[in-house]
Amino acid sequence: MSLVNFTTREITCKIVYYGPGRSGKTTNLQYIFGRVPENRRGRMVSLATHGDRTLFFDFLPLDLGSISGFTTRFQLYTVPGQSYYNATRKLVLQGADGVVFVADSQARRFDDNLESLQNLQENLLEQGVDVRDLPVVLQYNKQDLPADLVLSSDALDEALNFRGVQSFGADALHGSGVFETLKGISESVLRRLAAGAPA
Amino acid sequence: MRTLEPWVGPPLEHFLAESEARVVLLMTSAGQVVAQHGFTRSLDVMAAAALGAGIVASTTEVARLMDQRGFGALVHQGSEQGMLLSGFDTPRGRWVGLVVFGSETSVGLVQLFWDELVRELVAVAPPETTQAPVLAENFERELNASLHALFGR
Amino acid sequence: MSRYETELGRISAVRGVRGAMLVSMADGLVVAESLMDGVDGRAVAALAASLAGRLARTTAEAGLEAPRVLHLHAERGNLLAVPAAAAELLVVAVTQADANLGLARLEMLDVAQGLG
Repeated sequence: MSLVNFTTREITCKIVYYGPGRSGKTTNLQYIFGRVPENRRGRMVSLATHGDRTLFFDFLPLDLGSISGFTTRFQLYTVPGQSYYNATRKLVLQGADGVVFVADSQARRFDDNLESLQNLQENLLEQGVDVRDLPVVLQYNKQDLPADLVLSSDALDEALNFRGVQSFGADALHGSGVFETLKGISESVLRRLAAGAPA
Repeated sequence: MRTLEPWVGPPLEHFLAESEARVVLLMTSAGQVVAQHGFTRSLDVMAAAALGAGIVASTTEVARLMDQRGFGALVHQGSEQGMLLSGFDTPRGRWVGLVVFGSETSVGLVQLFWDELVRELVAVAPPETTQAPVLAENFERELNASLHALFGR
Repeated sequence: MSRYETELGRISAVRGVRGAMLVSMADGLVVAESLMDGVDGRAVAALAASLAGRLARTTAEAGLEAPRVLHLHAERGNLLAVPAAAAELLVVAVTQADANLGLARLEMLDVAQGLG
């Protein structure tokens, strides 16, 4: 749940990058970390295994500056994608203000994307949150791979984007689509706050 | 010391004075910072809060697997500094505390005054208020400007 | 009953002693206790260890040896503390005002010596 404080005029929002294993969630955060000016971000914390697979979560705090007189901060989290880490995924998802679903565009990972999306819905529901009430954007990562290996953004939209939310093609390793995605979710989350919806 | 809500201040000041803790962080169970003392960079505070809340959340889950109600506190005693992590229920939801202390005090003292702090916070916490719309009409323009400044596009 | 609790029982058996404890000096936690109802052992342990640590530092700064016995005389009773086992442990007793303090002290020193 976003924390809004009227006395100190601060807003803190929690954004969770969700998706199947190796879809590029950590890569998104690493790219953001590398490109955002040092005075606008904190340390990136990664709890990973030796094989660089996310064990618990990655975490990156960002300072968006002042919006309508409120110091606005975002906390970016990733979840571990592998299916057997569902307990930790649930923990990280607690209190999320918005979700970036990072799908792997490779055709052979299609089922993994669907399974992860369903898992997101189930985990949110368990916490009493209807995914339709939560700001969500989709990112179709690895669009840089050869065309015969990946599904197009349109095809993925058709298959995964039931709600017609914002979606972005991306190549997180080289940065294409990373900031567009972040900007998309930032807008959705902050607009929801501005509208006074229960956060 | 910095608190998001003024009612947290006096009990926390009392705790700091009595326990001689070096660093204190109060956060929601989702890792949102409520109060802090002893940090220099606000963004590092957020990382510490995320990690602390994560540890408490996972030990609570481990306790659940063992059919326990949860652990009162988790103490890590280092050679130079110690750390106490504890989750507790308040009228404002579940909160988590992270306390770092040095050799000028002891885990016994910190725990003693920590329990007192929790009792005081629970006693003085006002009920949760509903959130009003927070952002003004300039929101759209300022949001775009901020996002542009941060993301450069 | 542990060996420590048996030893502490000798102290708490003295007339007017309301409880005896073995406390870890470094962390202020109770190692063993023999207490009457109404004595908050955890609080006494934490505060007594803190006090003993400060007093030991004070005497060291003054060029004196570490205190062998601490005696806090309050209106309604006494707090006695004796460092033991190379100052890693503290034998603590809480007494009423009319306790047999001499015997309590002797028993505490004896227990402390037995701890090495």
